[in-house]
Amino acid sequence: MESNNTDADIGDKCNLNGDCSPTPNKQSFDLNNAKNIDDISTPSELKFDEEPDYEDPDVKEKKKDLEKCLENPDCINLEQWQNFAKSKAGLISDDYRRKIWPLLVGVTQEELTEPPSLDELSTHIEYNQVVLDVNRSLKRFPPGIPYEQRVALQDQLTVLILRVIMKYPHLKYYQGYHDVAITLLLVCGDRASFPLLCRLSYGPCAPLAPFMQTTMQPTQHLLNYMLPVVSRADRKLAECLDKAQVGTMFALPWYLTWFGHSLNKYTDVVRLYDYFLCAPPLFPVYVTAAIVLYRADEVYACECDMAMLHCLLSRLPDDLPFEDILVTAKTLYENNDPTDLEPEVAALERREEEQRRLDEERMKRRQAAARSRHTSLSARLRRLVPAALRRLPVSRRGALAAATVLLAVYVYYRPDLLYNRRRENALEL
Amino acid sequence: MSEATTHQIPGLKQKKVFKIIVLGDSGVGKTCLTYRFCEGQFLDKSEATIGVDFRERNIKIGHEDIKLQLWDTAGQERFRKSMVQHYYRNVHAVVIVYDVTKPETFHSIASWMQEVESHGLMRAPRVLVGNKCDCGTPESRLATTYAQRLADKYGMPLFETSALLDSECDNVESIFMTLAHKLYSKQPLRVVSVEGELGPGVVTLGRQKRSASSNDSCLCS
Repeated sequence: MESNNTDADIGDKCNLNGDCSPTPNKQSFDLNNAKNIDDISTPSELKFDEEPDYEDPDVKEKKKDLEKCLENPDCINLEQWQNFAKSKAGLISDDYRRKIWPLLVGVTQEELTEPPSLDELSTHIEYNQVVLDVNRSLKRFPPGIPYEQRVALQDQLTVLILRVIMKYPHLKYYQGYHDVAITLLLVCGDRASFPLLCRLSYGPCAPLAPFMQTTMQPTQHLLNYMLPVVSRADRKLAECLDKAQVGTMFALPWYLTWFGHSLNKYTDVVRLYDYFLCAPPLFPVYVTAAIVLYRADEVYACECDMAMLHCLLSRLPDDLPFEDILVTAKTLYENNDPTDLEPEVAALERREEEQRRLDEERMKRRQAAARSRHTSLSARLRRLVPAALRRLPVSRRGALAAATVLLAVYVYYRPDLLYNRRRENALEL
Repeated sequence: MSEATTHQIPGLKQKKVFKIIVLGDSGVGKTCLTYRFCEGQFLDKSEATIGVDFRERNIKIGHEDIKLQLWDTAGQERFRKSMVQHYYRNVHAVVIVYDVTKPETFHSIASWMQEVESHGLMRAPRVLVGNKCDCGTPESRLATTYAQRLADKYGMPLFETSALLDSECDNVESIFMTLAHKLYSKQPLRVVSVEGELGPGVVTLGRQKRSASSNDSCLCS
């Protein structure tokens, strides 16, 4: 934490108790025109898996309420939308999400502008990295999507990402940003997703801002809140994780992509986004803690080893009960405010720093040992030379060493010389 | 020496574990390569690696079971500085991958070597892998002689392969098996040096042996 103070500061401040939602901006506008991918080639239903069939009467009721609210969006305040997004089943369907997500972060009608063409952006320094990641994002598209449509969407994705990092040049692209961008793009279309992504990336409380600093140190710091949260809820589990030194890397893609990268079910991803879009920026870390707590038995059953635990935890099961996990995460957040956790996080980071220092020392020792092994022959020769001679200038020492070696070689090949002399000595006696 | 390591050392697990870290620029195929070795097939919907991924495979050398742990790292530079550090701990061998169709990925090998050096792994077994040799035209691919020269400079074997082609499967196999065999044969040395730092017992044994043998051979004493 000693370096990049500015990064850390930004990361720290904007992520504690903040809320990514701006002041309620109630402006009625039609956001339903955004999905212009529909007019690209074959009209296909961009459906992932079957939308969960909510038999639940509460959810059915909620659906009705949502529809009613969407008829008169002017009369609904931000808090009401947030309640919809946070409560069970979230915003239920992508049709609602398309209209409500921009409202949750306060996107205005004026911000919906036509995107520039890809060619205009291709000179950007991050262009190649973005294209590389976008081209590898096939898994994130609906299965069976026609080729042309997918390519068009991928171009839109590249444009979307580059537009944001060109608008805010101090923000650095990271691998995983494309996973957030594509979720927004698939739900809201390219016009609405640009201002949406801007809100998430830039600003004092923007949840993605700490990930986009020069280094990943702010991100790492924020992820460190996970272990203290786990520890307060289940000390034994935290001790187990700590003992294995599994770290937080297994959860890094979860946090950086809001789980978009790590979950196989699209419906789970968008459900989580409903919540995260109106939750404090650090909330995904609490969800991470809730998932680890939920999987405690698996952790205990696993070998207490960094690699094994990393492997187990980094792969998320497909059947995680996210509604319950979100409730747990909410309780965890309420009971363990980030500011309360700060001393524990600081202690954790001190321990890590100490470990790193020890590692470095050990490595240096190992290097030194390797070097001394390498020179052990000359060291052995040196041992044979009296200490007084060692103080001679280097060249003379070198000459002496050479002479010693030559003598040794000579003696080795002429053992009779020594042998005979010894015998002579013996005879004299 | 080799006899010494076959003895049961208390606290040492039966199954030997070799940790191998896979490095290289973004998109050169690190994930596909490790996937091919561990799962025996090509990963057709591979994604960018965020942070560090982990894969493992059990192999046999002689009659001994060995566990190979492959740490597949993110190529983007911003993940390296603070994040991947942790995963260099106790690494035994290094694989550096470049894309034969993208010279810039080959040119960054120097900086990868610097990183390897900074983690004190210059003496660890290392291999250089030119991936995607199925792509592009022979003219567009980086010449093997050129790559070989660099590999020689760093004293590491060069492999050219493709994680995509089933026909190259054996080649991918041999990359990791080469490392495993090297580690296996090198092991006595490694065990002594590692244990030497932890417990003084083993080091004295090593030294005693060495000084005893030097006493024997030294004619001047």
